[in-house]
Order: sequence, then structure tokens, then C-alpha cells
Amino acid sequence: MNRHAQAALTVCGLLAILILSLLAFGLPIGKSLSLIFQGAFGDPYAWSRTLGKTTPLILCGLGVVIAWRAGLYNIGGEGQFVLGALMSACWAKWLVMPGWGYAGILALLVASCVGGALWAAIAAWLYIKRGVEAVISTLLLNFVAIQLLEYAVSGPLQEAKRQVPQTDGLAETLMLAKFNPQADLHYGVVVAVLVAVGVFIYLFRTKDGFRLRVVGDNPNVARANRFPTSAIQFRSLMLSGGLCGLAGGVELLGITGYLGKGFPQQLGFLAIPVALLAGLHPLWVLLSAFYFGALFAGTQNLASFTPAGTTLVYVIQGAAVLGLVGLRYWTRRPRRSEAD
Amino acid sequence: MLEVRNVAKSFGPLRALDDVSAVFQAGEIHAVLGENGAGKSTLMHVMAGFLKPDSGAVLLRGLPIPLGSPFECRRLGIGMVHQHFTLVPNFTVAENLALAQMDSLNGPMNPSVESAKAASIAEKLGWEFDLGSRVSDLSVGSQQRIEIVKALAGEAKVLIFDEPTAVLTPDEVLDLFRVLKSLKEAGKAVVLIAHKLSEVMAIADRVTVLRRGRWVASAPIGDVSVAQLAEWMVGELPEASVKTPANPGNGRVVAQNLRVLGDRGEVAVKGASFEIRQGEIVGFGGVDGNGQVQLAEALAGLREGKVIQFEGIWANPEPAYIPQDRQTHGLALGMSVEENLLIGGLANSELSTGPFIKVKEVQRWATNLIHTFAIKVENASDIASSLSGGNQQKIIVSRTLDRRPEFLVVVNPTRGLDIRATEYVHEKILQAREGGTAVALFSTDLDELSLLSDRTYFMSRGQLMESMNAGLGASGT
Repeated sequence: MNRHAQAALTVCGLLAILILSLLAFGLPIGKSLSLIFQGAFGDPYAWSRTLGKTTPLILCGLGVVIAWRAGLYNIGGEGQFVLGALMSACWAKWLVMPGWGYAGILALLVASCVGGALWAAIAAWLYIKRGVEAVISTLLLNFVAIQLLEYAVSGPLQEAKRQVPQTDGLAETLMLAKFNPQADLHYGVVVAVLVAVGVFIYLFRTKDGFRLRVVGDNPNVARANRFPTSAIQFRSLMLSGGLCGLAGGVELLGITGYLGKGFPQQLGFLAIPVALLAGLHPLWVLLSAFYFGALFAGTQNLASFTPAGTTLVYVIQGAAVLGLVGLRYWTRRPRRSEAD
Repeated sequence: MLEVRNVAKSFGPLRALDDVSAVFQAGEIHAVLGENGAGKSTLMHVMAGFLKPDSGAVLLRGLPIPLGSPFECRRLGIGMVHQHFTLVPNFTVAENLALAQMDSLNGPMNPSVESAKAASIAEKLGWEFDLGSRVSDLSVGSQQRIEIVKALAGEAKVLIFDEPTAVLTPDEVLDLFRVLKSLKEAGKAVVLIAHKLSEVMAIADRVTVLRRGRWVASAPIGDVSVAQLAEWMVGELPEASVKTPANPGNGRVVAQNLRVLGDRGEVAVKGASFEIRQGEIVGFGGVDGNGQVQLAEALAGLREGKVIQFEGIWANPEPAYIPQDRQTHGLALGMSVEENLLIGGLANSELSTGPFIKVKEVQRWATNLIHTFAIKVENASDIASSLSGGNQQKIIVSRTLDRRPEFLVVVNPTRGLDIRATEYVHEKILQAREGGTAVALFSTDLDELSLLSDRTYFMSRGQLMESMNAGLGASGT
């Protein structure tokens, strides 16, 4: 099967999954699809919501791509996302002054990368020094991260009034600029697209990225050729965490402006199907993140008119992963290599 | 007994089998010969039901058997011993034997009862199994014995062996041959795929040769010569590589009382002393698992072994390494041919600027390598796993030798390769030697050692046993 047929099949499959999910929820297909479409692309505000959701998904998706390409199944995007935002919030509270302007924004974004990377470094250390599978450690660290968030927003980081478990809002000067003050869309989307191009160049045009992919495909080969395999694994998991953390920082500085318990919204988990749908390719992540972003925005609209709610996104997310696994089974069945 | 009639099978555009017919008699050892990609394995898989041919029929005692149903074939008495074993590594020997006896996944299971018959068969063949030990702890040779017993326990009338000797030591090969003969005497039809003509001449009663998916010839072994067989297989006679006397240079790799630790911290190499001069090939032979791999890895700089020195005009040469198993240590199978070549090309400063890879330059360089080393591939972007074993090995050899290494460490470079690919790899190693490379050749194949090395050591339990000159008394092919 060639790549075009595969792409077409993927698109049809995703549409079919959407329709089947609607059927399962007992919703009228035509009306629901139109509500979803309206919510995602109906007017400039809908577009803005879609792209606003797309932005953190791109960044987290890229984070997943890097780790998985290195053979480390990082499913801790959620925790790294949270820790990135937490680190940003800490710096905003104690270090970065509102008067810093652009330098302040830059500092907070750097903080989010650092936060995510350090969180992932725990899993990386466990993997390399203790042989703990990254799947397990990153997954479990998600729950720790969420507890940490809840502690922080009702403890050290809580707002000055101490009424609601959330942080104070960021100063307006430290927020990412918006294209339209009333809408969600902010300049973080530009950052995300640039990072995607950067990750593409890194993975496919640099020696370092090439070594990373060799390690991911077969670490034995990397070792036999004296690549610093452990260092590469450590670095790639930190890089992955850094990007997921950046997503958290961008979400904080671009959309919410404060941290509360409901901050993460499972975007870090959603990043996994985003990366898989993109075939672990950084540029396709742009498209698949857009699909899930649109679905998110669309189903929010659907939720306000029907009882389905945004649960639908998660149902579709799950179904899409299963569908992709199935598709892989069909297209990547190992060809029997002749007489070897 | 078993007859194949006009069988054809294609994989995509590749015609693996093209109108092949052959008859396999009871009480006969029938060798099927051919190069990599000649269709031998495909034919065996069709006969044992693992592949459904596009057309043609397989007859057992004149009756057509169901095609593409391995379970039915086994029930009818066609057993197969696979090249890549079909054992569950984490199961015990008894559990593996019992697994082969189960006709359904339902119901209770009692491995000691179900494996009893297989165990008694093993006893008749003169083998003793420790039924309670885990398969992953056993040597490759023992694993193969389990495979054979598994196949026999199904009351097999026809037994198909897919390259059984490729993984065995010389002693194990002799034992296997003894068993093959006793199977023949018991009236079974034995079908054997083999690469080495000397083995075929020693054991087979009849040969069939395939070339590029087509039937070339069948004949009783008494009527053919090695030269004739080689010509049938390849189409023309390969030229034997001629070795000139060694012309050693000044640089030397010196090991003094070298100790190397294995994976579990055991002392795998116990104080080895030797030297390898520039421009010579030093062979390391011996039965698998006596510390060769650990010594090779230490020489290649992958394992701690502090007592290696480089003397003479050298300033610490970077060793180039051709590892033992191309699929687990040699290739990133999910990546393209070009990328697999680049694994060796990263050190080449012409292929990158700063941290960046020069994509165009790499393409040109890879195409050039593919051309000079005659790697059979349609496109440099093809996935490495889609290549045949010989071509996979060529990727590794080409990217390693392209660097013109001063010191080369090679482990079993031709295991599982056909005549032509073997010749080719040998020639390249000899060329490296002519060019002044110091070569450490680890091989379990005596023919290979006597053909290539200037001096040979043998390893036994981590110690270097004796040093011999080239041309030890192994029968050449």
C-alpha cells in the first residue's frame, strides 16, 4: 500500500471513528457533525479556539515524538506539562517581575522547559541507572505531578486572597500577545510551528538526531558503533519533557493566565495519539494536532447543545489509537524476507 | 513420498518460486541447494503449510495435502525444523515439548505427561534433555535438538530442515548428521536445506538445485561433483580468492594477559596474550561461547579490557567492528539502507558540516557504496529489513570498510550467507589486509579460518589454546 492510499485510509478511518462514536452516544449524526464543525471552524472565534487547543497539542506531540523516536515510551507528557506550568508559575511569583516585558515572557517559557525536562530527568535517571521502564515511571510520575499541582495551588502558590485553590493571574505584560484580545489564539502557535520545524531539522538533518533515531531503532547497533547510547537516551527524554513542559508554559502564558486544579485537561495524554497519528513525524504532528484541536473545540460546542459533553473527545481519542494500531497491523506486517 | 508439482509463489513483484516441481523419496536425504533468494526457504514453507502457493500442488503419497495449513500438515506427518527456532524461551523444555503436542488450547495441561513421548524419542536418538531447564538457558545446539524432537513427536513421515547447520559447531554438525542418517534408515523422507557444499556431499543422497526461484537440476549425489553443484547454483563458477603471503607492517595490536569480564561479571577471557600486526589476519576459532564474543568486543573497544596496547607507528587506531549477529547488533532494521550505511559514515567529515548532515552528499555517498559493494537494492531508501541476509551483511561490511580502518574486528562474517556473498565478503576482508589493516577474525567455521587467516588461535573456556599456521587440516569446499 502506498503512502497516499494510507493517508486517505487514515482520514476515512478517523471520520468513521467520529461517526461511530456519535452513534454510540445516540446522537443524530448530521446535526452533531454540523455542531462539531461549527464549533471548530464556524466563525473566527471557533478557528481561534481550535488553534488555541492545537498549540499545546503540537508541543506535547513533538515531545512524544522525540522520546518515542529514541525508543523511550514517554507517556508522562501530562506530568511534564504540569511541571512546566508550575515552574513558570513559581518564577512568575518569585523571580520574574512584570516590568521585564518580553524578557520576562522568554524567562517564563524557559522556566517551563526546565520544569518539564527536570521532571522527565527523574524517569530518565531511573531508566538508565536502575533499569525502570520509562513507560511505568513516566506514567506514575503523572499522578505525582497532579498531586504536586494541587498542593501548590492550595499552598505556596495560592492566590493572595486565599479563597480559591488557584494562583494569582499573571500580569498582562507577561502574557503571550493575542491576535484578537477577545479570542483564544495567541502567538504561542507561532512558537509551536517553529519548534516543529526545529524538531524536524534536529531529527532528520543533524548527526545528533540521527544517532537518536538509531538508538531508538536498535540500541545494540548504537552500542556496537560506540554511540554514547545512555547519554542519548537521557538527553532525548529530557528534551521530550522540556517540550511537554513548554506546552504547559505556553498554555499558562497564552490562555489561562493562572494555575488551578483543572489546568491540565489531559492534553499531555492526548499528545500520544497526536504523535501516533502523525507517524512520529514532527511535521505531520502539526496536522494531527490540528485534527484533535478541532475535535476538542467542536465537541465543546456539541457539549453545550447535547448531553454528550467533551467526553466524546476522549472516546474518539481512544478509538483513534485502536484504529491506528489496526492500520499499522495491516500496512506494516513484516514482509517475509526471502531465504534468510 | 512427498511431491511438489508446478508450485509458484510471488511476494509482490518478486517471483520467489516459479513453476517448481520435485519429488522427495522415503528413506532418502534430499538436499535442496541454492543461493540466498533462490527460493529454498519459500519452497520448504510451502511444503510444510506455512505458505500458500499461488498455484501448484503438494502431494503426500499421491494425495494432495491442504495448502497453507501448517497444523494440518503436521497432523499428516510433515514436520519442519525451522532455521529460526519456534521455541518459547521462557518455557521449560518439557513445556515446549508439550506445547507441540497440544491439539487445542482448551482443557488441562500436564507438561510432564505430554512431553513424555518426545522425551523417549530424544532418548532413542541418544540425547538427554533436562526437561526442567528453561530453553533460554540452553545452547543453540540443544535448542535445535528440541526443535527436532518436537517435529518427530508428531509422527512425522517427512522432516524438513531449514539450514540446520548454520548455527551449529562442527561437533554438533557431526551429531546432527548421525541423527539425519538414523532418520533416513527409519524410512523417513529427510529434506535438508544447506549452504555448504561439503556438508551436502557428505550427507545427502540426492540434490535439487534452485536458482532465482526456478528449478535447475535434480540428481543423485554420486552423479555430481562440487564444481557441478556450484555451477548449477550460481550459473558460473565463482573464482576462489587467492591469498598472497602476509606483508606485515610495523603497527601492532598487542594484548598482554588480557582479562575480559562477561555480562554477568564472570571472567570470560582469562589472560590472553597475542599480537596482531598491520597487514595480517589473525584468526580466533573454537566452539561458540568460549569467550570469543567478549574478546572481540574488548578488541573493538566495547568492553573493559585495559591491557590492549597499540604499538609501532600507530596512535590509538579506532577499531572497526563487524558484529556477530547482523540483525541484533549490526542493523537498525526499521531504518533505510542509506541510514544504515550512514551509521558508519558519521565519522566521515565530508558528510556533515558542524552538527548538520549534508543530505545530498550522503545520498551520493550511499549510492556509490551500494554500487561498489554490489548491494542488491532497488532504492537507497528501502527499509533494511526488506533485504536478504547477504545484502544485509554487505551493508555492514561496506560501511565498516569504507572508513579504511587500521584495525578491524570481525565476528562470523559469513554465517548464513551463500557462496557468492561469502566469496565477496572474504575478498573484501583480504583486500583490507592488503591495504595494511590489522584484522582479528573470529569464526566458528574452520574453512573460513584456514582460508583467510595468517595465524590462528583457538579459544576454549576463555583461554587461547594453541597457535597454528594457516592451512590447518580442514577439508576445503
